[in-house]
Amino acid sequence: MRPLMLQGHERSITQIKYNREGDLLFSCSKDQKPNVWYSLNGERLGTYDGHQGAVWCLDVDWESRKLITGAGDMTAKIWDVEYGTVIASIPTKSSVRTSNFSFSGNQAAYSTDKAMGQSCELFLIDVRNADSSLSEQEPTLRIPMTESKITSMLWGPLDETIITGHDNGNIAIWDIRKGQKVVDSGTDHSAGINDMQLSKDGTMFVTASKDTTAKLFDSESLMCLKTYKTERPVNSAAISPIMDHVVLGGGQDAMEVTTTSTKAGKFDSRFFHLIYEEEFARLKGHFGPINSLAFHPDGKSYASGGEDGFVRVQTFDSTYFENIFE
Amino acid sequence: MPGVETIKSSWADEVELDYGGLPPTTETVENGQKYVTEYKYNKDDKKTKVVRTYKISKQVVPKTVAKRRTWTKFGDSKNDKPGPNSQTTMVSEEIIMQFLNSKEDEKANDPLLDPTKNIAKCRICNGEHWSVNCPYKGTAMDTNMMEKKASAAAAAAVDAPKSGKYVPPFLKDSQKGALGMRGRDDTAAIRISNLSESMTEADLEELVKKIGPQSKMYLARDKNTGLCKGFAYVHFKQRKDAAAAIEILNGHGYDHLILSVEWSKPQNN
Repeated sequence: MRPLMLQGHERSITQIKYNREGDLLFSCSKDQKPNVWYSLNGERLGTYDGHQGAVWCLDVDWESRKLITGAGDMTAKIWDVEYGTVIASIPTKSSVRTSNFSFSGNQAAYSTDKAMGQSCELFLIDVRNADSSLSEQEPTLRIPMTESKITSMLWGPLDETIITGHDNGNIAIWDIRKGQKVVDSGTDHSAGINDMQLSKDGTMFVTASKDTTAKLFDSESLMCLKTYKTERPVNSAAISPIMDHVVLGGGQDAMEVTTTSTKAGKFDSRFFHLIYEEEFARLKGHFGPINSLAFHPDGKSYASGGEDGFVRVQTFDSTYFENIFE
Repeated sequence: MPGVETIKSSWADEVELDYGGLPPTTETVENGQKYVTEYKYNKDDKKTKVVRTYKISKQVVPKTVAKRRTWTKFGDSKNDKPGPNSQTTMVSEEIIMQFLNSKEDEKANDPLLDPTKNIAKCRICNGEHWSVNCPYKGTAMDTNMMEKKASAAAAAAVDAPKSGKYVPPFLKDSQKGALGMRGRDDTAAIRISNLSESMTEADLEELVKKIGPQSKMYLARDKNTGLCKGFAYVHFKQRKDAAAAIEILNGHGYDHLILSVEWSKPQNN
Protein backbone atom coordinates (compact mmCIF):
# COMPACT_ATOMS: atom_id res chain seq x y z
CA MET A 1 0.00 0.00 0.00
CA ARG A 2 1.23 3.46 -0.77
CA PRO A 3 2.47 5.32 2.28
CA LEU A 4 1.10 8.64 3.46
CA MET A 5 3.50 11.54 3.67
CA LEU A 6 2.44 14.16 6.20
CA GLN A 7 3.98 17.57 5.79
CA GLY A 8 2.99 19.85 8.61
CA HIS A 9 6.35 20.76 10.07
CA GLU A 10 9.07 23.03 8.81
CA ARG A 11 11.92 21.51 10.77
CA SER A 12 13.03 18.08 11.81
CA ILE A 13 10.66 15.85 13.71
CA THR A 14 11.50 15.18 17.34
CA GLN A 15 8.76 12.79 18.42
CA ILE A 16 5.62 11.09 17.14
CA LYS A 17 3.07 9.17 19.14
CA TYR A 18 -0.24 7.42 18.63
CA ASN A 19 -3.06 7.65 21.11
CA ARG A 20 -4.43 4.52 22.75
CA GLU A 21 -6.86 3.52 19.99
CA GLY A 22 -4.48 4.60 17.27
CA ASP A 23 -6.83 6.89 15.37
CA LEU A 24 -4.86 10.03 16.24
CA LEU A 25 -1.19 10.56 15.51
CA PHE A 26 0.64 13.35 17.31
CA SER A 27 3.87 14.81 16.03
CA CYS A 28 6.17 17.54 17.26
CA SER A 29 9.29 19.01 15.77
CA LYS A 30 11.84 21.73 16.25
CA ASP A 31 9.36 24.31 15.07
CA GLN A 32 6.83 25.52 17.60
CA LYS A 33 3.61 23.75 16.65
CA PRO A 34 2.78 20.18 17.56
CA ASN A 35 0.38 18.62 15.07
CA VAL A 36 -2.35 16.04 15.36
CA TRP A 37 -3.44 13.87 12.43
CA TYR A 38 -6.07 11.28 11.72
CA SER A 39 -3.94 8.23 11.10
CA LEU A 40 -6.43 6.56 8.78
CA ASN A 41 -6.19 9.00 5.89
CA GLY A 42 -3.53 11.45 7.02
CA GLU A 43 -5.96 14.32 7.50
CA ARG A 44 -4.65 16.99 9.86
CA LEU A 45 -6.96 17.82 12.71
CA GLY A 46 -5.05 20.83 13.91
CA THR A 47 -1.97 22.45 15.37
CA TYR A 48 -1.31 23.39 18.97
CA ASP A 49 -0.13 26.99 18.96
CA GLY A 50 1.48 28.53 21.98
CA HIS A 51 5.07 27.39 22.33
CA GLN A 52 7.95 29.70 21.47
CA GLY A 53 10.67 27.11 21.17
CA ALA A 54 11.49 23.71 19.76
CA VAL A 55 9.07 21.11 21.08
CA TRP A 56 11.13 18.18 22.29
CA CYS A 57 8.53 15.73 23.58
CA LEU A 58 4.84 15.09 23.82
CA ASP A 59 2.46 12.55 25.27
CA VAL A 60 -1.28 11.98 25.29
CA ASP A 61 -3.32 10.43 28.06
CA TRP A 62 -5.36 7.29 27.67
CA GLU A 63 -8.65 9.09 27.15
CA SER A 64 -7.13 11.32 24.45
CA ARG A 65 -8.33 14.39 26.28
CA LYS A 66 -5.06 15.96 27.40
CA LEU A 67 -1.76 16.43 25.65
CA ILE A 68 1.46 17.35 27.41
CA THR A 69 4.36 18.90 25.54
CA GLY A 70 7.80 20.00 26.62
CA ALA A 71 9.71 22.63 24.72
CA GLY A 72 12.88 24.64 24.54
CA ASP A 73 11.11 27.81 25.69
CA MET A 74 11.39 26.40 29.24
CA THR A 75 7.76 25.48 29.61
CA ALA A 76 5.74 22.32 29.76
CA LYS A 77 2.20 22.82 28.51
CA ILE A 78 -0.94 20.77 28.90
CA TRP A 79 -3.42 21.13 26.05
CA ASP A 80 -6.96 20.20 25.30
CA VAL A 81 -6.66 17.66 22.51
CA GLU A 82 -10.03 18.47 20.98
CA TYR A 83 -9.86 22.25 20.76
CA GLY A 84 -6.14 22.91 20.75
CA THR A 85 -6.23 25.28 23.69
CA VAL A 86 -3.71 25.52 26.52
CA ILE A 87 -5.03 24.18 29.80
CA ALA A 88 -1.93 24.80 31.88
CA SER A 89 1.55 26.13 31.33
CA ILE A 90 4.28 25.10 33.75
CA PRO A 91 7.42 27.24 33.75
CA THR A 92 10.76 25.50 34.22
CA LYS A 93 14.33 26.69 34.54
CA SER A 94 15.66 24.95 31.44
CA SER A 95 14.35 23.07 28.42
CA VAL A 96 11.90 20.26 29.02
CA ARG A 97 13.33 17.21 27.29
CA THR A 98 10.92 14.43 28.31
CA SER A 99 7.31 14.40 29.43
CA ASN A 100 4.96 11.48 30.01
CA PHE A 101 1.50 10.86 31.34
CA SER A 102 1.03 8.00 33.72
CA PHE A 103 -1.10 5.12 32.56
CA SER A 104 -4.08 6.31 34.56
CA GLY A 105 -3.65 9.87 33.39
CA ASN A 106 -3.76 11.21 36.93
CA GLN A 107 -0.11 12.17 37.06
CA ALA A 108 2.47 13.44 34.64
CA ALA A 109 6.24 13.42 34.81
CA TYR A 110 8.66 15.64 32.99
CA SER A 111 12.38 16.29 33.15
CA THR A 112 14.42 19.37 32.45
CA ASP A 113 17.69 19.76 30.64
CA LYS A 114 21.13 20.20 32.10
CA ALA A 115 21.76 23.61 30.62
CA MET A 116 22.28 27.26 31.50
CA GLY A 117 23.74 26.42 34.87
CA GLN A 118 20.75 24.29 35.84
CA SER A 119 21.06 20.62 36.65
CA CYS A 120 18.72 18.02 35.25
CA GLU A 121 15.66 17.40 37.40
CA LEU A 122 12.71 15.04 37.33
CA PHE A 123 9.32 16.49 38.26
CA LEU A 124 6.03 14.85 39.07
CA ILE A 125 2.74 16.74 38.98
CA ASP A 126 -0.89 15.89 39.61
CA VAL A 127 -2.98 16.70 36.55
CA ARG A 128 -6.41 15.54 37.64
CA ASN A 129 -7.64 19.10 38.13
CA ALA A 130 -5.30 20.78 35.72
CA ASP A 131 -6.03 24.44 35.11
CA SER A 132 -4.11 27.68 34.92
CA SER A 133 -3.25 27.53 38.60
CA LEU A 134 -1.09 24.48 37.97
CA SER A 135 1.81 26.77 37.12
CA GLU A 136 1.94 28.04 40.70
CA GLN A 137 1.58 24.71 42.45
CA GLU A 138 4.55 22.82 43.74
CA PRO A 139 5.29 19.49 42.05
CA THR A 140 4.42 16.47 44.13
CA LEU A 141 7.90 15.05 43.62
CA ARG A 142 11.19 16.56 42.60
CA ILE A 143 14.36 14.52 42.09
CA PRO A 144 17.63 16.14 41.00
CA MET A 145 19.85 14.15 38.66
CA THR A 146 23.40 14.48 39.85
CA GLU A 147 25.13 12.04 37.50
CA SER A 148 23.74 12.35 33.99
CA LYS A 149 20.78 14.06 32.41
CA ILE A 150 17.61 12.26 31.41
CA THR A 151 17.20 11.77 27.68
CA SER A 152 14.27 9.36 27.71
CA MET A 153 11.58 8.41 30.17
CA LEU A 154 8.82 5.86 30.68
CA TRP A 155 6.28 5.11 33.38
CA GLY A 156 6.75 1.69 34.90
CA PRO A 157 4.07 -0.88 35.64
CA LEU A 158 1.09 0.10 37.80
CA ASP A 159 2.26 3.75 37.92
CA GLU A 160 4.57 2.90 40.79
CA THR A 161 7.91 3.59 39.14
CA ILE A 162 9.49 5.77 36.49
CA ILE A 163 12.14 4.42 34.12
CA THR A 164 14.71 6.94 32.92
CA GLY A 165 17.34 6.66 30.23
CA HIS A 166 20.36 8.88 30.60
CA ASP A 167 22.97 10.56 28.48
CA ASN A 168 25.76 8.28 29.64
CA GLY A 169 23.90 5.13 28.64
CA ASN A 170 22.60 4.35 32.09
CA ILE A 171 19.02 3.27 32.79
CA ALA A 172 17.46 3.71 36.22
CA ILE A 173 14.14 2.95 37.90
CA TRP A 174 12.80 5.39 40.49
CA ASP A 175 10.25 4.56 43.13
CA ILE A 176 7.66 7.32 43.23
CA ARG A 177 6.64 6.94 46.86
CA LYS A 178 10.15 6.86 48.24
CA GLY A 179 11.52 9.26 45.69
CA GLN A 180 14.74 7.35 45.23
CA LYS A 181 16.47 5.07 42.76
CA VAL A 182 15.73 1.40 43.19
CA VAL A 183 17.31 -0.31 40.17
CA ASP A 184 20.29 0.65 38.03
CA SER A 185 21.22 -0.96 34.73
CA GLY A 186 24.97 -0.60 35.04
CA THR A 187 26.89 -0.54 31.78
CA ASP A 188 24.62 -2.25 29.28
CA HIS A 189 24.73 0.71 26.90
CA SER A 190 27.98 2.54 26.31
CA ALA A 191 26.48 5.72 24.86
CA GLY A 192 23.43 7.91 25.35
CA ILE A 193 19.90 6.55 25.24
CA ASN A 194 17.91 8.21 22.48
CA ASP A 195 14.52 6.56 22.89
CA MET A 196 12.70 4.01 25.02
CA GLN A 197 9.36 2.41 24.20
CA LEU A 198 7.32 -0.13 26.07
CA SER A 199 5.91 -3.32 24.72
CA LYS A 200 2.16 -3.67 24.56
CA ASP A 201 1.81 -5.35 27.94
CA GLY A 202 4.43 -3.14 29.56
CA THR A 203 6.59 -5.98 30.82
CA MET A 204 9.58 -5.00 28.73
CA PHE A 205 10.86 -2.02 26.81
CA VAL A 206 13.26 -1.44 23.96
CA THR A 207 15.98 1.20 24.05
CA ALA A 208 17.65 2.97 21.15
CA SER A 209 21.17 4.15 21.78
CA LYS A 210 23.96 6.11 20.17
CA ASP A 211 26.25 3.10 20.54
CA THR A 212 24.55 1.65 17.40
CA THR A 213 22.57 -0.97 19.31
CA ALA A 214 19.05 -1.35 20.58
CA LYS A 215 18.41 -3.53 23.59
CA LEU A 216 15.41 -5.15 25.18
CA PHE A 217 15.08 -4.79 28.95
CA ASP A 218 12.77 -6.16 31.59
CA SER A 219 10.66 -3.39 33.07
CA GLU A 220 11.13 -4.42 36.69
CA SER A 221 14.63 -5.82 37.00
CA LEU A 222 16.32 -3.97 34.10
CA MET A 223 17.85 -7.23 32.95
CA CYS A 224 19.09 -7.00 29.38
CA LEU A 225 17.17 -9.62 27.40
CA LYS A 226 18.12 -9.00 23.75
CA THR A 227 20.51 -6.88 21.71
CA TYR A 228 19.89 -5.68 18.14
CA LYS A 229 23.07 -4.56 16.42
CA THR A 230 23.34 -2.11 13.55
CA GLU A 231 26.22 -0.07 12.19
CA ARG A 232 24.98 3.45 12.87
CA PRO A 233 23.41 5.30 15.81
CA VAL A 234 19.85 4.23 16.57
CA ASN A 235 17.54 7.16 17.19
CA SER A 236 14.32 5.29 17.86
CA ALA A 237 12.96 1.79 18.26
CA ALA A 238 9.47 0.33 18.64
CA ILE A 239 8.04 -3.10 19.39
CA SER A 240 5.22 -4.48 17.31
CA PRO A 241 2.01 -5.07 19.27
CA ILE A 242 1.04 -8.21 17.37
CA MET A 243 4.25 -9.75 15.98
CA ASP A 244 7.65 -10.61 17.42
CA HIS A 245 9.21 -7.71 15.56
CA VAL A 246 11.20 -4.64 16.49
CA VAL A 247 11.69 -1.72 14.14
CA LEU A 248 14.79 0.46 14.40
CA GLY A 249 15.51 3.79 12.79
CA GLY A 250 18.47 6.07 12.88
CA GLY A 251 21.27 7.55 10.89
CA GLN A 252 24.14 9.94 11.18
CA ASP A 253 24.06 13.22 13.00
CA ALA A 254 22.33 16.05 11.26
CA MET A 255 25.58 17.81 10.43
CA GLU A 256 26.70 14.86 8.32
CA VAL A 257 23.48 14.30 6.45
CA THR A 258 24.29 16.39 3.41
CA THR A 259 27.42 14.39 2.71
CA THR A 260 25.58 11.09 2.58
CA SER A 261 23.60 9.73 -0.32
CA THR A 262 20.26 8.10 0.27
CA LYS A 263 21.49 5.20 -1.82
CA ALA A 264 23.92 4.36 0.94
CA GLY A 265 20.95 2.65 2.52
CA LYS A 266 21.48 4.02 5.99
CA PHE A 267 18.16 5.83 6.27
CA ASP A 268 16.02 2.72 6.20
CA SER A 269 13.70 1.43 8.84
CA ARG A 270 15.25 -1.83 9.94
CA PHE A 271 13.07 -4.69 11.10
CA PHE A 272 14.55 -7.18 13.53
CA HIS A 273 13.14 -10.32 14.99
CA LEU A 274 12.42 -9.75 18.66
CA ILE A 275 13.74 -13.12 19.81
CA TYR A 276 16.36 -14.14 17.27
CA GLU A 277 17.95 -10.66 17.15
CA GLU A 278 18.41 -10.81 13.37
CA GLU A 279 17.40 -8.27 10.79
CA PHE A 280 14.88 -9.60 8.29
CA ALA A 281 13.53 -6.60 6.39
CA ARG A 282 14.12 -2.99 5.45
CA LEU A 283 11.93 -0.14 4.32
CA LYS A 284 13.20 2.99 2.62
CA GLY A 285 11.52 6.34 2.36
CA HIS A 286 13.13 9.14 4.31
CA PHE A 287 15.72 11.52 2.94
CA GLY A 288 17.44 11.89 6.26
CA PRO A 289 17.87 10.12 9.56
CA ILE A 290 14.79 8.77 11.24
CA ASN A 291 14.27 10.50 14.56
CA SER A 292 11.14 8.82 15.87
CA LEU A 293 9.20 5.63 15.23
CA ALA A 294 5.85 4.43 16.49
CA PHE A 295 3.79 1.34 15.80
CA HIS A 296 0.07 1.72 15.34
CA PRO A 297 -1.67 0.00 18.27
CA ASP A 298 -3.26 -2.50 15.89
CA GLY A 299 0.16 -3.40 14.53
CA LYS A 300 -0.83 -3.10 10.87
CA SER A 301 1.02 0.11 10.17
CA TYR A 302 3.74 2.24 11.61
CA ALA A 303 4.74 5.89 11.45
CA SER A 304 8.21 7.38 11.22
CA GLY A 305 9.35 10.96 11.60
CA GLY A 306 12.61 12.04 10.09
CA GLU A 307 15.16 14.79 9.97
CA ASP A 308 13.59 15.91 6.70
CA GLY A 309 10.50 17.14 8.55
CA PHE A 310 8.13 14.54 7.09
CA VAL A 311 6.02 12.02 8.93
CA ARG A 312 5.47 8.86 6.94
CA VAL A 313 2.65 6.45 7.70
CA GLN A 314 3.37 3.07 6.15
CA THR A 315 0.76 0.34 6.06
CA PHE A 316 2.19 -3.15 5.87
CA ASP A 317 1.47 -5.41 2.95
CA SER A 318 0.40 -9.00 3.37
CA THR A 319 3.96 -10.12 2.65
CA TYR A 320 5.03 -8.64 5.98
CA PHE A 321 2.60 -10.84 7.88
CA GLU A 322 3.22 -13.93 5.74
CA ASN A 323 6.99 -13.72 5.99
CA ILE A 324 8.22 -16.64 8.04
CA PHE A 325 11.50 -16.06 9.77
CA GLU A 326 13.96 -18.73 8.63
CA MET B 1 -22.50 3.90 14.06
CA PRO B 2 -21.40 6.37 11.39
CA GLY B 3 -19.01 5.01 8.83
CA VAL B 4 -15.65 6.54 8.18
CA GLU B 5 -15.85 9.18 5.52
CA THR B 6 -14.22 8.43 2.23
CA ILE B 7 -11.18 10.42 1.29
CA LYS B 8 -12.37 13.55 -0.43
CA SER B 9 -10.07 15.67 -2.48
CA SER B 10 -10.36 19.23 -1.30
CA TRP B 11 -8.42 20.35 -4.33
CA ALA B 12 -11.33 19.57 -6.62
CA ASP B 13 -13.67 21.76 -4.63
CA GLU B 14 -11.24 24.63 -4.66
CA VAL B 15 -10.89 24.60 -8.43
CA GLU B 16 -14.57 25.06 -9.11
CA LEU B 17 -14.66 27.51 -11.97
CA ASP B 18 -17.68 29.51 -13.03
CA TYR B 19 -17.44 28.80 -16.73
CA GLY B 20 -20.88 28.99 -18.19
CA GLY B 21 -20.39 26.40 -20.88
CA LEU B 22 -19.30 23.54 -18.64
CA PRO B 23 -21.67 20.78 -17.60
CA PRO B 24 -22.26 20.39 -13.86
CA THR B 25 -20.35 17.93 -11.71
CA THR B 26 -22.04 14.57 -11.30
CA GLU B 27 -21.62 11.82 -8.75
CA THR B 28 -22.56 8.18 -9.16
CA VAL B 29 -22.43 5.52 -6.47
CA GLU B 30 -22.61 1.87 -7.39
CA ASN B 31 -21.09 -1.38 -6.12
CA GLY B 32 -19.09 0.25 -3.39
CA GLN B 33 -17.47 2.75 -5.75
CA LYS B 34 -18.12 6.43 -6.17
CA TYR B 35 -17.43 8.12 -9.49
CA VAL B 36 -17.07 11.89 -9.52
CA THR B 37 -17.17 13.42 -12.99
CA GLU B 38 -16.37 17.06 -13.52
CA TYR B 39 -15.51 19.30 -16.46
CA LYS B 40 -13.14 22.23 -16.62
CA TYR B 41 -10.71 24.08 -18.86
CA ASN B 42 -7.07 23.06 -18.77
CA LYS B 43 -4.01 25.22 -19.34
CA ASP B 44 -4.47 25.20 -23.11
CA ASP B 45 -8.00 26.51 -22.66
CA LYS B 46 -9.50 23.23 -23.82
CA LYS B 47 -12.38 21.40 -22.22
CA THR B 48 -11.29 18.45 -20.14
CA LYS B 49 -13.26 15.77 -18.38
CA VAL B 50 -11.92 14.46 -15.08
CA VAL B 51 -13.27 11.25 -13.63
CA ARG B 52 -12.27 10.29 -10.09
CA THR B 53 -12.98 6.91 -8.61
CA TYR B 54 -13.30 6.46 -4.88
CA LYS B 55 -13.62 3.27 -2.92
CA ILE B 56 -16.30 3.31 -0.24
CA SER B 57 -15.32 1.25 2.77
CA LYS B 58 -17.12 0.64 6.03
CA GLN B 59 -15.16 0.44 9.24
CA VAL B 60 -16.37 -0.50 12.71
CA VAL B 61 -14.63 1.58 15.33
CA PRO B 62 -15.16 2.27 19.02
CA LYS B 63 -17.60 4.99 19.95
CA THR B 64 -14.89 7.33 21.15
CA VAL B 65 -13.05 7.00 17.86
CA ALA B 66 -16.20 7.77 15.91
CA LYS B 67 -16.81 10.79 18.08
CA ARG B 68 -13.30 12.04 17.43
CA ARG B 69 -13.94 11.86 13.69
CA THR B 70 -16.48 14.64 14.09
CA TRP B 71 -14.14 17.05 15.85
CA THR B 72 -13.74 20.54 14.47
CA LYS B 73 -10.40 21.48 13.04
CA PHE B 74 -8.30 24.07 14.83
CA GLY B 75 -5.02 25.89 14.62
CA ASP B 76 -3.54 26.08 11.15
CA SER B 77 -6.17 23.65 9.88
CA LYS B 78 -9.12 25.74 10.99
CA ASN B 79 -10.10 26.65 7.45
CA ASP B 80 -9.54 23.20 5.99
CA LYS B 81 -12.44 21.42 4.37
CA PRO B 82 -13.41 17.88 5.38
CA GLY B 83 -10.91 15.38 4.11
CA PRO B 84 -7.16 15.60 3.74
CA ASN B 85 -5.63 18.87 2.66
CA SER B 86 -3.35 18.28 -0.28
CA GLN B 87 -0.82 20.71 1.16
CA THR B 88 -0.24 18.70 4.31
CA THR B 89 -1.12 15.15 3.25
CA MET B 90 0.41 13.43 0.25
CA VAL B 91 0.38 9.87 -0.94
CA SER B 92 3.95 8.85 -1.56
CA GLU B 93 5.14 6.38 -4.15
CA GLU B 94 5.00 2.69 -3.50
CA ILE B 95 7.78 1.42 -1.24
CA ILE B 96 8.46 -2.30 -1.30
CA MET B 97 9.72 -3.87 1.87
CA GLN B 98 12.98 -5.68 1.25
CA PHE B 99 13.33 -9.00 2.98
CA LEU B 100 16.90 -9.95 3.69
CA ASN B 101 16.82 -13.74 3.39
CA SER B 102 17.41 -13.69 -0.36
CA LYS B 103 20.15 -11.11 0.01
CA GLU B 104 22.18 -13.36 2.27
CA ASP B 105 21.92 -16.19 -0.26
CA GLU B 106 23.30 -13.97 -2.99
CA LYS B 107 26.27 -13.01 -0.86
CA ALA B 108 27.23 -16.65 -0.37
CA ASN B 109 27.40 -17.20 -4.13
CA ASP B 110 29.75 -14.30 -4.74
CA PRO B 111 33.14 -15.83 -5.66
CA LEU B 112 35.05 -12.75 -4.58
CA LEU B 113 33.89 -13.24 -1.02
CA ASP B 114 34.68 -16.94 -1.00
CA PRO B 115 38.14 -17.27 0.55
CA THR B 116 38.58 -20.87 -0.53
CA LYS B 117 38.21 -20.11 -4.21
CA ASN B 118 41.35 -18.64 -5.77
CA ILE B 119 40.85 -16.34 -8.74
CA ALA B 120 44.47 -15.27 -9.16
CA LYS B 121 46.51 -16.60 -12.06
CA CYS B 122 50.13 -15.81 -12.76
CA ARG B 123 51.07 -14.72 -16.25
CA ILE B 124 54.66 -15.91 -15.89
CA CYS B 125 54.32 -19.47 -14.63
CA ASN B 126 50.51 -19.91 -14.75
CA GLY B 127 50.39 -20.62 -11.03
CA GLU B 128 47.59 -19.72 -8.63
CA HIS B 129 49.04 -16.45 -7.44
CA TRP B 130 49.28 -12.91 -8.74
CA SER B 131 51.96 -12.11 -11.26
CA VAL B 132 53.51 -9.53 -8.98
CA ASN B 133 54.00 -12.24 -6.35
CA CYS B 134 55.53 -14.77 -8.73
CA PRO B 135 58.66 -16.37 -7.29
CA TYR B 136 59.98 -16.78 -10.80
CA LYS B 137 59.60 -13.13 -11.67
CA GLY B 138 62.88 -11.67 -12.95
CA THR B 139 64.58 -15.07 -12.94
CA ALA B 140 65.85 -17.28 -15.75
CA MET B 141 62.41 -18.71 -16.43
CA ASP B 142 61.02 -15.26 -16.97
CA THR B 143 63.96 -14.27 -19.16
CA ASN B 144 63.67 -17.42 -21.25
CA MET B 145 60.14 -16.55 -22.26
CA MET B 146 61.19 -13.12 -23.42
CA GLU B 147 64.22 -14.52 -25.23
CA LYS B 148 62.06 -17.05 -27.00
CA LYS B 149 59.85 -14.31 -28.33
CA ALA B 150 62.79 -12.22 -29.49
CA SER B 151 64.48 -15.09 -31.30
CA ALA B 152 61.22 -16.15 -32.93
CA ALA B 153 60.63 -12.62 -34.13
CA ALA B 154 64.14 -12.35 -35.50
CA ALA B 155 63.81 -15.68 -37.28
CA ALA B 156 60.51 -14.68 -38.82
CA ALA B 157 62.00 -11.46 -40.10
CA VAL B 158 65.08 -13.16 -41.51
CA ASP B 159 63.05 -15.76 -43.38
CA ALA B 160 61.19 -13.23 -45.45
CA PRO B 161 63.98 -11.86 -47.68
CA LYS B 162 65.66 -15.24 -48.13
CA SER B 163 62.89 -16.59 -50.25
CA GLY B 164 63.60 -16.37 -53.94
CA LYS B 165 60.04 -16.81 -55.02
CA TYR B 166 58.24 -14.29 -57.12
CA VAL B 167 56.36 -11.83 -54.95
CA PRO B 168 53.62 -9.75 -56.54
CA PRO B 169 54.24 -6.04 -56.25
CA PHE B 170 51.31 -5.35 -53.94
CA LEU B 171 52.53 -7.98 -51.46
CA LYS B 172 56.04 -6.58 -51.10
CA ASP B 173 57.00 -5.05 -47.73
CA SER B 174 57.53 -1.63 -49.15
CA GLN B 175 53.96 -1.52 -50.43
CA LYS B 176 52.31 -3.01 -47.36
CA GLY B 177 52.40 0.27 -45.49
CA ALA B 178 50.18 1.98 -48.02
CA LEU B 179 47.54 -0.71 -47.75
CA GLY B 180 47.72 -0.59 -43.99
CA MET B 181 46.68 3.02 -43.88
CA ARG B 182 43.17 2.11 -44.95
CA GLY B 183 42.48 -0.16 -41.97
CA ARG B 184 43.97 -1.31 -38.72
CA ASP B 185 47.29 -3.00 -39.39
CA ASP B 186 48.82 -4.84 -36.44
CA THR B 187 51.46 -6.77 -38.32
CA ALA B 188 54.20 -4.18 -37.76
CA ALA B 189 53.11 -2.95 -34.34
CA ILE B 190 55.21 -3.39 -31.24
CA ARG B 191 54.47 -2.83 -27.58
CA ILE B 192 57.04 -1.18 -25.34
CA SER B 193 56.52 -1.59 -21.63
CA ASN B 194 58.29 -0.64 -18.41
CA LEU B 195 58.51 2.98 -19.46
CA SER B 196 59.04 5.62 -16.82
CA GLU B 197 56.32 7.99 -15.70
CA SER B 198 57.99 11.02 -17.21
CA MET B 199 57.97 9.54 -20.71
CA THR B 200 56.56 11.81 -23.40
CA GLU B 201 55.69 11.41 -27.05
CA ALA B 202 58.83 13.29 -28.05
CA ASP B 203 61.00 10.89 -26.08
CA LEU B 204 59.24 7.95 -27.64
CA GLU B 205 59.76 9.34 -31.13
CA GLU B 206 63.42 9.98 -30.45
CA LEU B 207 63.77 6.43 -29.23
CA VAL B 208 62.39 4.74 -32.33
CA LYS B 209 63.03 7.14 -35.18
CA LYS B 210 66.51 5.79 -35.88
CA ILE B 211 65.17 2.31 -36.48
CA GLY B 212 62.76 3.15 -39.24
CA PRO B 213 59.74 5.19 -40.26
CA GLN B 214 56.60 4.83 -38.15
CA SER B 215 52.99 5.31 -39.14
CA LYS B 216 51.49 5.74 -35.68
CA MET B 217 52.53 6.01 -32.06
CA TYR B 218 50.42 5.71 -28.95
CA LEU B 219 51.66 6.50 -25.44
CA ALA B 220 49.29 5.42 -22.67
CA ARG B 221 48.69 8.16 -20.13
CA ASP B 222 46.77 8.28 -16.89
CA LYS B 223 43.60 10.31 -17.26
CA ASN B 224 43.81 12.12 -13.97
CA THR B 225 47.51 12.76 -13.54
CA GLY B 226 48.63 12.87 -17.18
CA LEU B 227 51.69 10.75 -16.43
CA CYS B 228 52.77 7.81 -18.52
CA LYS B 229 51.15 4.53 -17.60
CA GLY B 230 54.30 2.64 -18.49
CA PHE B 231 53.53 1.20 -21.92
CA ALA B 232 53.28 2.40 -25.50
CA TYR B 233 52.48 1.08 -28.96
CA VAL B 234 54.46 1.93 -32.09
CA HIS B 235 53.29 1.06 -35.61
CA PHE B 236 56.12 0.84 -38.13
CA LYS B 237 55.66 1.05 -41.86
CA GLN B 238 57.70 -2.09 -42.47
CA ARG B 239 57.69 -5.27 -40.51
CA LYS B 240 61.45 -5.67 -40.62
CA ASP B 241 61.84 -2.35 -38.84
CA ALA B 242 59.53 -3.59 -36.11
CA ALA B 243 61.59 -6.77 -35.75
CA ALA B 244 64.75 -4.72 -35.58
CA ALA B 245 63.22 -2.49 -32.92
CA ILE B 246 62.37 -5.50 -30.81
CA GLU B 247 65.90 -6.81 -31.11
CA ILE B 248 67.53 -3.49 -30.34
CA LEU B 249 65.31 -2.10 -27.60
CA ASN B 250 64.34 -5.19 -25.63
CA GLY B 251 66.45 -5.14 -22.49
CA HIS B 252 67.74 -1.70 -23.36
CA GLY B 253 68.21 0.70 -20.49
CA TYR B 254 66.29 3.95 -20.77
CA ASP B 255 65.72 6.52 -18.02
CA HIS B 256 66.98 4.10 -15.34
CA LEU B 257 64.53 1.40 -16.40
CA ILE B 258 64.98 -1.72 -18.52
CA LEU B 259 62.60 -1.68 -21.46
CA SER B 260 60.63 -4.68 -22.55
CA VAL B 261 59.57 -4.81 -26.19
CA GLU B 262 57.40 -7.42 -27.88
CA TRP B 263 55.03 -7.79 -30.78
CA SER B 264 51.67 -6.19 -30.24
CA LYS B 265 48.89 -8.72 -29.71
CA PRO B 266 45.44 -8.35 -31.25
CA GLN B 267 42.84 -6.76 -29.01
CA ASN B 268 40.33 -9.58 -29.03
CA ASN B 269 42.82 -12.10 -27.71
